[in-house]
Amino acid sequence: MDQPRTDEDQQLVARTQEGDASAFDQLVVKYTPRLYGLVYNMTSNHEDTNDLLQDIFAKAYKAIRGFRGKSSFYTWIHSIAVNMTLNFLKKRGRRFQLSLDDVDASIQNDKEFLEATASTSPVREADLSELQKRLNEAMMKLSDEHRAVVTMFHIQGMPHAEISKILRVSEGTVRSRLFYANRQLQNYLDEFRKNPVT
Amino acid sequence: MDEFNDNQITKLLRLKRYEQPPPGYFDNFLHEFHRRQRDELLRQPLWRICVDRARDFAFSFNLSTLTSYPVAVTAVLVCAAVISLKIYQTPQPATVAVKDQQVLVVPASAEPEWTLASPAATRVFNTRSLRNMTESAQTHRSGTPRYVLDSVPVSYETTFKF
Repeated sequence: MDQPRTDEDQQLVARTQEGDASAFDQLVVKYTPRLYGLVYNMTSNHEDTNDLLQDIFAKAYKAIRGFRGKSSFYTWIHSIAVNMTLNFLKKRGRRFQLSLDDVDASIQNDKEFLEATASTSPVREADLSELQKRLNEAMMKLSDEHRAVVTMFHIQGMPHAEISKILRVSEGTVRSRLFYANRQLQNYLDEFRKNPVT
Repeated sequence: MDEFNDNQITKLLRLKRYEQPPPGYFDNFLHEFHRRQRDELLRQPLWRICVDRARDFAFSFNLSTLTSYPVAVTAVLVCAAVISLKIYQTPQPATVAVKDQQVLVVPASAEPEWTLASPAATRVFNTRSLRNMTESAQTHRSGTPRYVLDSVPVSYETTFKF
């Protein structure tokens, strides 16, 4: 997933800092889908995601006057989103609210999805919806920090360097968390494949 | 049976980017954002709104750059506080009440008087004109020490009787 043009963001940020609220509206429109995917895959709940997104943009609007451009707006807004979501998850605790088990029907017609579930794959033998559900469950078994890294790297397609900036950890830490999370997901899905739930 | 490998997990996870909110969600998101902003503004007390306005006003003058030098700002404030304290604590010039120097003037008539009435050989000073009530009040505040013998204690010896 490519990053948006930073110079355009800088102009919108500068206009917002000068008091042009419509410029911030453009930033909201631009970043809502991207941040929705990030927050939704970390919380697995649409209502929580909606509330968090509103809070994230409200906080960003209040804090944008202090934004000095040391990082890109993309990194800055993602940092706010990840930190607020992690704080929310800590408050929410480990209660399991899985609401994304209903896979979007359009996925099953998607080219990438069909390729991923093509022949010679163990996925073929499993019910796809069930497999997706199991994957979501496996995601929720990860710690919040590991799930954040998996979401940003695998789902959002961010590079390691960008993730390390957002989380303010080293790239080695990002790679380590990814490796550990992949092992956990792999074990969980293998267990499901060996003992499928009918 | 094959096991899941990293590549397959990656492909499965990438599919999750297609999970989308209900249709129309993104269209309504901005309206919802504006509505919440207005609601929050209406809930704020008046003083909070005033503080926010003042802060915005300060930011409009780019005063926020000062916050990037907190140590310098703190140092200036501390110096100003110290200087102001020094000014307020400067001692005022001492105001000393100047009194007329009362010079003890012994009148010429104040000769020691020897009297036979005295049971003993006692020298009696004539203190009549040396002090009066007003002077006595100033005596203790005069610059030069002044010793005034008001009276001579009488002798407790028995009087001689011839």
